[in-house]
Amino acid sequence: MKWSNVNLIFRREMRDQLRDRRTLFTVVIMPMLLYPLLGMAMLQVAQFMREHPTRIWIMGSENLPAEPALLEGGNISGDWVDAKTAQLIDTEVLDEPTQELEKYIREFRKSDNEQARDLIDQLIQKELKARKYDAAVFFTNPIESPEQTDLLASGSQKATGPDVLVFVDSASDRSRIAGERIASVLGNWKNAWTNQLLAANDVPASINSGIVMETSDVANKVGKRAAAWSKILPFIVMIWCLTGAFYPAIDLCAGEKERGTFETLLSSPAERSEIAIGKLLTVMTFSMATSLLNLISMAITGIMLASKVGAMATFGTPPVHSIGWLLLALVPISALFSAIALAAAAFAQSSKEGQYYLVPLLMFSMPLMMVPMLPGSQLDLGTSLIPVSGLMLLLRHLMEGQYSFAAQFGAPVVLTTLLCCWMAIRWVVHQFNSESVLFRASERFGIGKWLGHIMRERHELPSLGNAILCGLMILVIKFFVSIAATPATDWSSFSLQTVIILVTAVAVPALFMAIMLTRSPRKSLRLRPCTIPAACAAVLAAICLNPLLMWFTALVMTIYPPGPELMALQSSVQTILDGAPSWWAILLVFAVAPAVMEELAYRGFILSGFQSMRNKWHAILLTSLLFGVAHSVIQQTMITSVAGVILGIIAVQTRSLIPCILFHATHNGLTAMIGIVPAETIKSSHLLSQILYTNDGVTFQYGILPGIIMSVIGLALIGWFLRFDHSTAAARSSRQPSRFERWLGKMSE
Amino acid sequence: MIHVRGLTKTYRDLAGDFVALDEISFDAMPGQVYGLLGPNGAGKTTALRILSTVLKPTAGTASVNGFEVSDNPRQVRHQIGFVSTNTAIYDRMTAWEMVQYFGQLYGMEADYLQIQMESLFERFQMNELRNTLGSKMSTGMRQKVNIARAMIHNPPVLIFDEATLGLDILVARQVLSTVEQLRDHGKCIIFSSHIMSEVGRLCDRVAIMNRGKILTEGTLDELAAKHQEDDLEEMFYQLISASEAEHHLSDAQEKTKTAAV
Repeated sequence: MKWSNVNLIFRREMRDQLRDRRTLFTVVIMPMLLYPLLGMAMLQVAQFMREHPTRIWIMGSENLPAEPALLEGGNISGDWVDAKTAQLIDTEVLDEPTQELEKYIREFRKSDNEQARDLIDQLIQKELKARKYDAAVFFTNPIESPEQTDLLASGSQKATGPDVLVFVDSASDRSRIAGERIASVLGNWKNAWTNQLLAANDVPASINSGIVMETSDVANKVGKRAAAWSKILPFIVMIWCLTGAFYPAIDLCAGEKERGTFETLLSSPAERSEIAIGKLLTVMTFSMATSLLNLISMAITGIMLASKVGAMATFGTPPVHSIGWLLLALVPISALFSAIALAAAAFAQSSKEGQYYLVPLLMFSMPLMMVPMLPGSQLDLGTSLIPVSGLMLLLRHLMEGQYSFAAQFGAPVVLTTLLCCWMAIRWVVHQFNSESVLFRASERFGIGKWLGHIMRERHELPSLGNAILCGLMILVIKFFVSIAATPATDWSSFSLQTVIILVTAVAVPALFMAIMLTRSPRKSLRLRPCTIPAACAAVLAAICLNPLLMWFTALVMTIYPPGPELMALQSSVQTILDGAPSWWAILLVFAVAPAVMEELAYRGFILSGFQSMRNKWHAILLTSLLFGVAHSVIQQTMITSVAGVILGIIAVQTRSLIPCILFHATHNGLTAMIGIVPAETIKSSHLLSQILYTNDGVTFQYGILPGIIMSVIGLALIGWFLRFDHSTAAARSSRQPSRFERWLGKMSE
Repeated sequence: MIHVRGLTKTYRDLAGDFVALDEISFDAMPGQVYGLLGPNGAGKTTALRILSTVLKPTAGTASVNGFEVSDNPRQVRHQIGFVSTNTAIYDRMTAWEMVQYFGQLYGMEADYLQIQMESLFERFQMNELRNTLGSKMSTGMRQKVNIARAMIHNPPVLIFDEATLGLDILVARQVLSTVEQLRDHGKCIIFSSHIMSEVGRLCDRVAIMNRGKILTEGTLDELAAKHQEDDLEEMFYQLISASEAEHHLSDAQEKTKTAAV
């Protein structure tokens, strides 16, 4: 790569963008205007914003005691509320409730009847709406004056049901506020009543206070400000980084294609990678500039507003060190978003098409940005490995000054972020090197034409589109079948359900598509015989790699501990397993059925389709990812994705599904059996007791040394598969096919 | 200078495979204008995009001034100047900046670049355009800047892909006379066009293409003798009609065969 060319391209693109009024408006003018205008609007709105008085409907006031008096002249007494709030409460006393309401209240008082309560609520809601009240208070039982009440007898003589009913409509903000105001009034009045009761009975009033609690905020001013800003600023920076990257990216890729200047540049001596990096640096600069200008504009507006609006003064300006961390994080964040935006924009043929990609990009990024803002989300090893979210959480802790805590997870966050940046940049360069992306003839594609084409002119093997469609179909069907299925409670329903889901949601779509969309379903599904060494190596590899995969499972479970729902599910499955008629039934449902069905779909049809990209590693990785995603639990997704890579290697190298089915069935079978085989059986076997150990006498794990030895052998077998030459193997096995192979060939045809 | 052998290009997208170039071969020499004639979709632009290394061939070889397009794309790009309907100029750059930018990308020394630019701006009478932005230029002005951009590094090979499309007669004539001058200066020129009169006037050798194949190739005299037709347009029409009829026939036969299977 010639950096002089990268520099030239970067400088030209910068000049080009700075001469573009739309880009300048988005990057410079809009942030400069947005916050001051928003601030002005806030001030204007604040002038008109005032608290509205609430209307309270009071019923059963005849039940109120003379002392302490809640009402004075039909209004709330000034003893229970401050003067300002008193002006905001407008009461209307209705001494006699409607007959219907009175009837229901009598019923409710008698039996605490839920149905009566619902009817009261409905009636009150109707009344509130008809009479335009915000809340209603009903004093249902006569409340005596504290002086006339016997403290000791008051509890036993108490009438059933509540003394005061407060009705609010939580769907209405006005009603909710009214409820809060009247609850505060009633609380004060009730306290006074109790205090008077205690005083009348010669009990010190302090007893009413009970345990006195006081909360003290130990955070200093700077810490409070940092904590407040650390929740907002990273999100704002990220959003503007993405927005700031997207529009220049569209203009520099899709816009150039549209204007015809892209091919001019491609025919110049600059390499595609130089063009990609030059453009990426430009997009990054604009992404950072947009974010920075927004921050500056927001800060200036915030400081100005703080002097005008009292509430904002307590918020203050963000501490300097917070801004420093933010600026440091700005570089990788903008690199990541710029690369993603540029790669998406490179795919678009026009600016209009490019803008369609903004929504999916935002939908993809927003959850990652929102996770750290959720209450309770914490930086730990699991979250530190999530792109964007981990960085935002780390940034939050750094901004709050928790350096020692942040340092613990600094390395995983930085590594994850750098890895993501590197992958995104590689994607950009790949997009710029891909003719199918740069010269994509979007006008040639039409759904009708495409469907007609795939039905009429079927290829021998599935295409990339067929593979993606199959993967998505499996996901959608699996989702609906799982939703429709009722939770299994016993072995027979569980096994039946599992097999039905595997057949209908996994195998059938793949088989159907292989028959309908390809000329050779047998080759599409890799239904070829394999050599005996390959089959034996697959079984042996599954046995030997079982410890490694089990350890990986344990690692994933440590990093991302299963939630209570998953634990409950695991325990219910274990209970169902205990009720299985025999171990072979378990093997059939957990090992054989998934191995056959999933391999037909994933290593059969989908992997064949992805292989049309002519890059076996991309095909293997994409298939594994789809295979992982089909397992809806996130921990399982990670584990199966890794197992999928091993299965993909075996499938691609041997070109046969048989070793994959054998590997899959052996692995699943071993994993299931270790969980269900009685401890005595393992202990009684010399070999098994050497390999497995237990701490609790129930669950068994692989010993470190045997596990390592097995893993090394397993990896060596995968290495053997990687060197496996299927053409030589096929030539070697050009003997008379065995009876089994002839049967398999006939069946698959 | 340019040697093309069995050059093939297949595109694959969701709609299936599409053969844009089907094993074409030809040679173009210095001091010669080689014409590519063909209807829309014949594969002319694909062939020229491969020669300018914008696309990679699926099969076959193509060398420019001794450099293979697949193996040494950067060196090939130094040997050529590519002017096409798809190579526009930047709207937000002046004519001077545009030509200078490409000169810098070709790694030209600042002094030499300055001299070359002065000479080209003088030659194409573009001095009044120096500070005019691309967006403010007429189609003819833009094409002049485009040609100057392609010639800035004085390449031995120039590729013109429908370079006179959409130009008025005055500018088109200017472009054609530039091509003639360049040929006279010993440059090897590939010239693709729809306009028979341009090809007849300029080209020393002509290849007529349809559906990714070269139907016939030779000097104008050789073609006239071979097809017993002096009028290039008539010859073109007859060849393309025959090729289309043959294609439709084989297509129908293929469909019948598939239906029978």
